[in-house]
Amino acid sequence: MGTKEINLIEVDDLTKDYGHGRGVFDVTFNVKEGEVFGFLGPNGAGKSTTIRHIMGFSKPQKGQTRILGMESFGNYFRFLGDVGYLPGEIVLPEGLTGWEFLQMMGDLRNLHDNTRLKMLLERFKLNPKGETKRMSLGDKRKLAIVAAFMNDPKVLILDEPTSGLDPVMQQVFIDYIKEEKKRGKTILLSSHMFNEVEATCDRIAIIKDGRIVSMFDANSIKHNENKNFFIKFKKKDEFDKFLKLLPVSKKRKIKVSKPYINKIDKNSKSLIAYCNDKDINQLVPLLSDYQIETFSENKVTLQDYFMQFYREDKNFGGVF
Amino acid sequence: MINRALFKQSCKAHWIKWLSVTLSTCVMLMIVIIVLGNLGINDIRDSLKNVFVQADQESSLKENSVDGYESYFTMIDGYSAIESKAPLLAFLQPQFDNQIDELEGQGIEATKEVRAQIIVTMVSGIIESGAAAGFGMDESLVKVFLTNYLTVYSDAQLEGTSLTDEKLLSDAYCNTIYQVTYQDAIANGKSEEEALVQASSSSYICQDAVASYNKNKSNSEYNYSADATNCVNLLMQTQAEQSLAGSGMTEDEIKQYGVAVKVISNTAINTYQLWLNELGDTEDAKVEAKSQATKSISDEIPEKVAVALQELGNMDMYGLIIGSIFYRIAGLLLPMVFVIMTANGLLAGQVDSGSMAYVLSTPTKRRTVTVTQLAYLVFALFSMFAMLTVFSVIAVAIAGGNNFAINYSEILLLNAGAFLTMFAIAGFCFMCSALFNRTKHSLSIGGGLTIFSLVCTILGLFGSTVVPSAMRISSMDFFNYLSIITFFDTVSILNGTLSYLWKFGVLLGIGIVCIIIGVFRFDKKDLPL
Amino acid sequence: MEDIIKVENLTKDYGENKGVFNISFNVKKGEVFGFVGTNGSGKTTIIRHIMGFLKPQKGEIKVLGLDSWKNSCEIKKNVEYIPGEIAFPDLRDGTTFLKNQAELLGLADMSYANKLIEKLQLDTSANLKRMSKGMKQKTAIVAALMADKDIIILDEPTTGLDPLMRETFLDIILEEKSKGKTIIMSSQMFDELEITCDRVALILDGKIIDIADIKELKNLPYKLFKIEFLSHEDFIKFKKFKYKIVRVQEQYNQFTIQVDNSKINKLFKDLKNFKLKFISEVKKDLEKHFKEVLTEFYKKNDIVLKPTKSGKEDVKHDK
Repeated sequence: MGTKEINLIEVDDLTKDYGHGRGVFDVTFNVKEGEVFGFLGPNGAGKSTTIRHIMGFSKPQKGQTRILGMESFGNYFRFLGDVGYLPGEIVLPEGLTGWEFLQMMGDLRNLHDNTRLKMLLERFKLNPKGETKRMSLGDKRKLAIVAAFMNDPKVLILDEPTSGLDPVMQQVFIDYIKEEKKRGKTILLSSHMFNEVEATCDRIAIIKDGRIVSMFDANSIKHNENKNFFIKFKKKDEFDKFLKLLPVSKKRKIKVSKPYINKIDKNSKSLIAYCNDKDINQLVPLLSDYQIETFSENKVTLQDYFMQFYREDKNFGGVF
Repeated sequence: MINRALFKQSCKAHWIKWLSVTLSTCVMLMIVIIVLGNLGINDIRDSLKNVFVQADQESSLKENSVDGYESYFTMIDGYSAIESKAPLLAFLQPQFDNQIDELEGQGIEATKEVRAQIIVTMVSGIIESGAAAGFGMDESLVKVFLTNYLTVYSDAQLEGTSLTDEKLLSDAYCNTIYQVTYQDAIANGKSEEEALVQASSSSYICQDAVASYNKNKSNSEYNYSADATNCVNLLMQTQAEQSLAGSGMTEDEIKQYGVAVKVISNTAINTYQLWLNELGDTEDAKVEAKSQATKSISDEIPEKVAVALQELGNMDMYGLIIGSIFYRIAGLLLPMVFVIMTANGLLAGQVDSGSMAYVLSTPTKRRTVTVTQLAYLVFALFSMFAMLTVFSVIAVAIAGGNNFAINYSEILLLNAGAFLTMFAIAGFCFMCSALFNRTKHSLSIGGGLTIFSLVCTILGLFGSTVVPSAMRISSMDFFNYLSIITFFDTVSILNGTLSYLWKFGVLLGIGIVCIIIGVFRFDKKDLPL
Repeated sequence: MEDIIKVENLTKDYGENKGVFNISFNVKKGEVFGFVGTNGSGKTTIIRHIMGFLKPQKGEIKVLGLDSWKNSCEIKKNVEYIPGEIAFPDLRDGTTFLKNQAELLGLADMSYANKLIEKLQLDTSANLKRMSKGMKQKTAIVAALMADKDIIILDEPTTGLDPLMRETFLDIILEEKSKGKTIIMSSQMFDELEITCDRVALILDGKIIDIADIKELKNLPYKLFKIEFLSHEDFIKFKKFKYKIVRVQEQYNQFTIQVDNSKINKLFKDLKNFKLKFISEVKKDLEKHFKEVLTEFYKKNDIVLKPTKSGKEDVKHDK
């Protein structure tokens, strides 16, 4: 609209080699103001390492990370008030009750107004009465979430935020993130929960073995304009006839502007047709002349897309 | 009833703890028994004892000296009394001679036995005639004296030695003194050896006294004190030196000792004389003077202190250290830590962490689990104390075997008692582990109460009879009632009394009851796995 | 087919509305039965009862005809269990643990165990305490499945696992299923239950709200399609076809309609002359199904959901 898009989080060629192939290598991405950026990858892929660098806890070997324009390493105390951090491993200080912990976090951030805190507690249905040691995993996670959000920071960095929460609470969290986004917050969300990434993120990066292997707009998955339809015919002759109507392609990904047939199963008289939304009006009229037994869509979910990058490895022993 | 795999699992999980505890305790015990055995911790006690023994000896010596001193004068008085009867006695001589002549006239040889017979007859005759009264002496004494008188006379005749009246009298007198003293001593229950010593002492004094009398009887003002003192001093010295002959001391050492004795004797007598000078010459005065003269260290210090010191002297340090301190406190501490931690880890700890789910997800009964874990605990405890027993027996053997302060049967009983105590504690901790689902409950109650018992035993030690009354604070004995270790009666074991036996039974009973409660509860309770 | 597991009116009241109440369900031989519900809803409690760790206050549970509390040991001869929280006993490494577990199970033949180890590519020599979560999970899987028993019980087995490990795990479950094993699985994730189970029970506050048949769900007699029209007129025109409308977004010229499978041809014929922006299918999955069930349930029971001061959900029941 005229406002320059500011990158509140910048990661530039970040490299840190821990040996044995572990670490992050040449990681580059930016998170714009008001954007929710999803970081997807399994354990050990490098998500937490990247986040640690962004937060200024580790020093890069090569490259740089910046928050709010400041270099991360060495400036932690400067952006502490504006950044809410939710770490992946919840380790709460011992001997405190939930209230005491929240109070401590509030004091650390010079927070004096408790209204937001109260709202969060009610929203996430958390009663911070008990000792932190005795809390269930879910409650600990909620406590950490509340602590990260309570001073209403500009930037939120969330590492596995809903791990340990049940689906109801997950939904509460997702709704909350959506609201924060509406309020213009910038959020970096690292997770391996596909539903929450899918539901909240604008852009998604997939990290594998310390490198970013894919970065894309969430909509391209959610509202993927390229669709695959499963069509089963009632009659064999109609099936054969239809086969001749569209080109057949064996390859998985082709950028063509016309619908084509992906897979054929002669025995069940079914096929999978690929069609871009732009061309849907070519396909639909065709179908109206045939007797269709089944018409359904084969959706590619984020999970399917993600698994593509990893499945090859599994047969060779995988990450473990 | 016992699952082998689970038993093995428990062994693997806890053997390091077991090994370190067992070895440490064994090493501690070895050090306590062997090293302390060589340290002579009883030296102080022994020297304290010696002080009192010596004090007693000194007291005896002084008493003998004073008695001897007094008897000097008594003997002189007695002799002079006899002497005054000399003319009477002179009659006996010709009577005796006549009898001999008669016999010889009959052709009977006057052997010693014959003469003795004549003497006996004559003396009986005199006694019966009531002439003894004229001597102004006790009848029995008269009999002995007369017999001696005639015997000396007769012997001199036999041997053909010349005999002055003086010698006759003094020999007869001194022999009498000798015999009378001997008989009195025996009658008073003294041993033969002691009686002989006393008799010869009296005889010695008698001879010296009589000799001195004979020399100085013309001087009615003569003071026999010096003579008496010298005589007694010399007697004491000689006796002391003789008693050390063959003891392994050098000649010089013996001589030194003799001189010391002489000095003590002299001092006692002087003290006695001084007191008499002050108090006069009454019987009471003599008693008082004697008591003053024979005072020893024991009489100088207040009675309570003396009693306390004597108790210290009698204290059995080894019994205290090994029995009460090691076997009831120090030596139990490490096994306690083992039992507390292991008992928890066998049941409650596994329920708390959730690993019990693996065991119970197999076809294993809960009863089997509890019994197996119990078996492991008891087995570990038993083997620990078996090792300890072996080590302790070896240690006692090195320290001197049955000559050591603690003999073999006592050390075995101590080990058994310690094992039973730990069995009761293990039963209790096991019960807590079976009753609770969380480590912190099982540890705080099982472990907490166990350590509490130990602390109470430590505090209670200060109020017990093991500690000598000089150091005892009897109100602390209250703590003994709060501890289960009190049922381990080491004092009774070392004393040889039997009260420890029924207490062993109590320990065993406590252990068994706790175990039963634990096993049954574990069977029925809900497990959050 | 016989009922391998029969739960009848199982009740365990811990007070303050916590516990399980009147739980009843059956699991047939060869079936995979799932539980889904939030934390504290009662899934783990039910499983603990079946395993004989807890004693029912009311009701009874029969596994293979035997009582779950009284004959727990007997039942275990046929059951494999993977607990929710993986907590290993105090042993050195994976090999020792597996050997030990085999002994406890009375398992002499380790060939299946080795197969599993190879399949999972598990290094059993690793120190038990220092294993990563994934390795621990793999070890737990081998420990449970190596006995090759007929009944498998799993309590939230994929918590904390990343997608790769989860997929491997679900593959294994499906393989066991194909061998004819009877499986009970609890989870918070709808999708993994959808993949593996035959039937899934929804549990809320200790009660079973609904039991869904997955096959039925996957083979509904209708489908939902989202259709967006290029022009507003087409959007209005389509209304007259009187399809069952599930959702309308007029600002996008969009309908979501429900079409019977038998009527699919009619749809295309009707759409023939319209210009579409796109057509996509809205899949009915387990999560959606249960959401609908719950909404119905709340409506029926006139329940008001209100967060209270204590932060807990206060559920009022009318009946």
